[in-house]
Amino acid sequence: MPIRDPISDYSTIPGVSDELIDASGAVRPSWRPFVDHISRLTPEDLSRRFARGDQYLRDAGVFFRQYDPSGPSERDWPLSHMPVVLHDSEFSEIADGLKQRAELLEAVVADLYGPARLVADGHLPAALVAENPEWLRPLIGVQPRSGHFLHYLAFDLGRGPDGNWWVLGDRTQAPSGLGFALENRVATRRVFSDFFADANIHRLASFFRTFRGALLGLRGDADGRVAILTPGLLNDVYYEHAYIARYLGFMLLEGEDLTVERGQVMVRTVAGLKPVSVLWRRLDAAYADPLELNDTSRLGTPGLVGAVRQGNVSLVNALGSGVLQTRAFLAFLPRICQALRGESLRLPNIATWWCGHDAERAHVRSQFERMSIGPAFSTRPLFEADEPIVAGGQTIDPGALDDAAFAALGRGMVGQEAVKLSTTPVFVDGRLMPRPMSLRVFMVRTETGWEVMHGGYARIGRSVDATAIALQQGGSVADVWIHSDNRVDRDTTLTPPDQTFTRSQPGILPSRSADNLYWMGRYVERAEGVMRLLRAYHIRTLENPRADAPLVRTIADQLELLEIDPAVGVPDGLRNTLDSAVVSASRVRDRFSVDGWAALEDLKDTADSLSASLASGPAISGDEVAEAMGILLRKISGFYGLVHENMYRFMGWRFLSTGRALERAMAMTSILARFADPAAPEGSMDLAVEVGDSVISHRRRYSVSTNRDTVIDLLALDAKNPRSVLYQLEVVKDLVAELPGSEINGQLSDLSRAILKVHTAVTVLRPGDLDTDRLLSLWGEIADVSNTVTGSYFK
Amino acid sequence: MLYDIGVRITYSYDYPTDAGRHLLRLMPADLPGEQRVIVGVLTPTPRPEERTDRIDFFGNGTTEVGYRSAHEKIEFRVEARVERLATPPRLDMSPPLSGMPRELSDIRDLSPWAPHHFLGASPRVPIDPDITAFARALADPNKTVREIAETVGRQLHREMRFDAGATTVDTPPTEAFQRRHGVCQDFSHIMISALRGIGIPAAYTSGFLRTIPPEGKQRLEGADAMHAWVRVWCGQETGWVEYDPTNALTVGQDHIVVARGRDYSDVSPVKGVMRTYGDQSSEQAVDVVPLDAIPA
Repeated sequence: MPIRDPISDYSTIPGVSDELIDASGAVRPSWRPFVDHISRLTPEDLSRRFARGDQYLRDAGVFFRQYDPSGPSERDWPLSHMPVVLHDSEFSEIADGLKQRAELLEAVVADLYGPARLVADGHLPAALVAENPEWLRPLIGVQPRSGHFLHYLAFDLGRGPDGNWWVLGDRTQAPSGLGFALENRVATRRVFSDFFADANIHRLASFFRTFRGALLGLRGDADGRVAILTPGLLNDVYYEHAYIARYLGFMLLEGEDLTVERGQVMVRTVAGLKPVSVLWRRLDAAYADPLELNDTSRLGTPGLVGAVRQGNVSLVNALGSGVLQTRAFLAFLPRICQALRGESLRLPNIATWWCGHDAERAHVRSQFERMSIGPAFSTRPLFEADEPIVAGGQTIDPGALDDAAFAALGRGMVGQEAVKLSTTPVFVDGRLMPRPMSLRVFMVRTETGWEVMHGGYARIGRSVDATAIALQQGGSVADVWIHSDNRVDRDTTLTPPDQTFTRSQPGILPSRSADNLYWMGRYVERAEGVMRLLRAYHIRTLENPRADAPLVRTIADQLELLEIDPAVGVPDGLRNTLDSAVVSASRVRDRFSVDGWAALEDLKDTADSLSASLASGPAISGDEVAEAMGILLRKISGFYGLVHENMYRFMGWRFLSTGRALERAMAMTSILARFADPAAPEGSMDLAVEVGDSVISHRRRYSVSTNRDTVIDLLALDAKNPRSVLYQLEVVKDLVAELPGSEINGQLSDLSRAILKVHTAVTVLRPGDLDTDRLLSLWGEIADVSNTVTGSYFK
Repeated sequence: MLYDIGVRITYSYDYPTDAGRHLLRLMPADLPGEQRVIVGVLTPTPRPEERTDRIDFFGNGTTEVGYRSAHEKIEFRVEARVERLATPPRLDMSPPLSGMPRELSDIRDLSPWAPHHFLGASPRVPIDPDITAFARALADPNKTVREIAETVGRQLHREMRFDAGATTVDTPPTEAFQRRHGVCQDFSHIMISALRGIGIPAAYTSGFLRTIPPEGKQRLEGADAMHAWVRVWCGQETGWVEYDPTNALTVGQDHIVVARGRDYSDVSPVKGVMRTYGDQSSEQAVDVVPLDAIPA
């Protein structure tokens, strides 16, 4: 039973448009069905629904990286559960306006990298181009292979007090938000699942299908590959890159994954170099090629510009397109539209004056109170951050601008009309409140023209201040629903229903991804070995509290070899190993199931919290640590279960499993060298069997108690014991046979040879042959196999 | 004046590199009316798998070489015979500083030597308040732009100490200026920043100096390695004029031009990117011998 109509006490702000309530004070018709729906929900039901959406986002691993004085931190994704609803007739007008704008921008960028007539004819000041860091000289005169500079665009829009929409900024470099828009949609749908199913809200799937098709269409030939080029893990929207790569099925690459050979862009894969013909670039152009662009870049690919010049690769968007984002350009686009197209902008952009001209500077000076003053060459979205105006190397406070400063600043400054953005309802403490918002709209070029996504990404301010709506300032985001009076296409899948299903060639595995999967396998296995040793250590100290007891001492020595100090609860060394596993995994998130990732993060988080709780106690209790290790071991086997059950048995899985098997073989060899040594203290044999998780197997196989021969037999030479060295070498041997290039024209590769050699050697050993010296040399031979894996595939 | 020029730049790596790509701007430029290359050869050793010769935006000759095989040492060698033409001294027709904004705003041109390219900050040359203040103090409103530029260059030469060990190729000009020391690259970047700071377009030129001075003259600083100096736009009428702040002189027949751009990043002689671990070291040897100094 509803307690109250959620909109009865929703009050709009005078002088500001509102998305929910129109100028006459009535609820806009497109919102009506939704408002009726939520007014039938109890507050409890509503908060249960919100929690459902939040849980989805957490499970999906959607987060937001925030930068504050204490450094970057990851926060929950700030979804405002209330969507923004627009009628599709209104949205169509926006879309038409943006299509015109996209054509205009294409013409401008083609001119700036071509004949520069706009400058010659006085439509754009030379200084705004020549001093522009995004105007990339090495690309001047280079025609894009596809014939177009722009393929994928986003626009930020706001609705003014008069109810009309304005373009706040053009996103042409590497627009972000498409993946987030999709995540917002999935989460918001979960919240209002019953309503959404029958509501006439345009679905997003067809846009993503079109988008994917457009990128594939740029390949030229069917063999070419499409990849997403990301700056990498440290980028604040890396999550989005990994998400969209997984969703669309494109490779996610970093600059160092690519190399250029004879003008062709190639990806380094475990099967050698493979050509790439389309790069959807999420990296700013200046960083894309240290040879011809920013030479301090560590993120780029040397020679990429050369490959573009030779017409062997299409970039989405072309290198240099970022120049269109220049804030001062907004001052000139209305006139350029007239000059180039003989028509006015259908959708105006925010009024902007460039202070490089005397008259405009005087205007900005006189209208100072009604302006926001910013850097002319800024390419960042409006309201994203307070950007200082820098002139003559000095930062200038806009409040302290005097005539002299105005004159000196000139070319570096723009004045923009201070906007009052429209508000949209968000829930604040259980009540609907109006908050300012801007709308990001996405579009992609197809063979038949620009296609606009019927939906979007709304950014919402935390307070009523319309100039601070960025996430970094505590804002939130919302899904955008385009409502139709008619039935909409319900199709929500990426594959078109009317197309025959084809199994695409299994993706190729970039060397860097293989490297990370391999090391993730090794680190997780290493962590497991350490946990088993630690548990054994603490159980032994409980039995014999003397730290100098010989067996306890021997375990401590073995742990020290692994840089683990057993005297603390959850040693840093163990946590570092888990951290390394998580870092490796985060670099291959696009290839990793969401559940697998969540399990690994959970493992690491559990280790951290156990570490904290154990450290808070008065003294380390062996009981508690042993129990903690038990918890972690169960979590690790949960993680392995997910990997084993769910990971597609292809190249990536093979490298992960190879890493794990080699680590396990080396660890067991090392344990046997120490604990099966004739001079090892009493109890060592049992300990080896316990750490090798083979107590029951030993009891079953041998009717005697442990002795050196039974222990070596079971843990080194028994091909049926998954804990034995031979078993793991056999696993590696089988995996290696499936790796690319394991055999070329009947000749074994170096790696095949290396693993075959050590496997054969161990197969023919008898327990008596495997003394401590032989174990130590065996360890070295297995380590060499690992080095050969690295040398063969990860370069 | 005819010169025989020999340049050898050697890179040695601790570990063999497995791939590398380099962009070279080492060959003296062919500049109608200024300088003529009679013969010139650029030889990379070992022989690269790929080589592309091109002209960049500013008109400089570039050579891109690509290696795919492992090597521990790379050498780039230039041998060239160049004629440096005498340019008759020009009348100073440049405007006063106050006339520059007008001259600049009339220009609707993005061609490579349009002055607007050289007016704002560039990758290696920030606009720095201290350097700008230094230039402003020397910018006598009764003097022409060309006189002001030379005054700024001369004053830098007076205040700065040439010290080959004090800065590296990556030292920011602001730091070199604060300490008042550096090499030709620092002198040039500081002068460029100073001129741009007061609204005078300024560019960077890399090149060579004759190694052995004419009889009775002192050996110039920077003659044993690649040199750099400054190019100043002095208004439509006068155009570009070159000045060498490291040696406090107007550029003449002792300077051989290799490349020109906004700053070092546009003309750096060897830009290289390779996949390698460990350290690398490099050596540079330059010989610029006037033909009349070669014994018959």
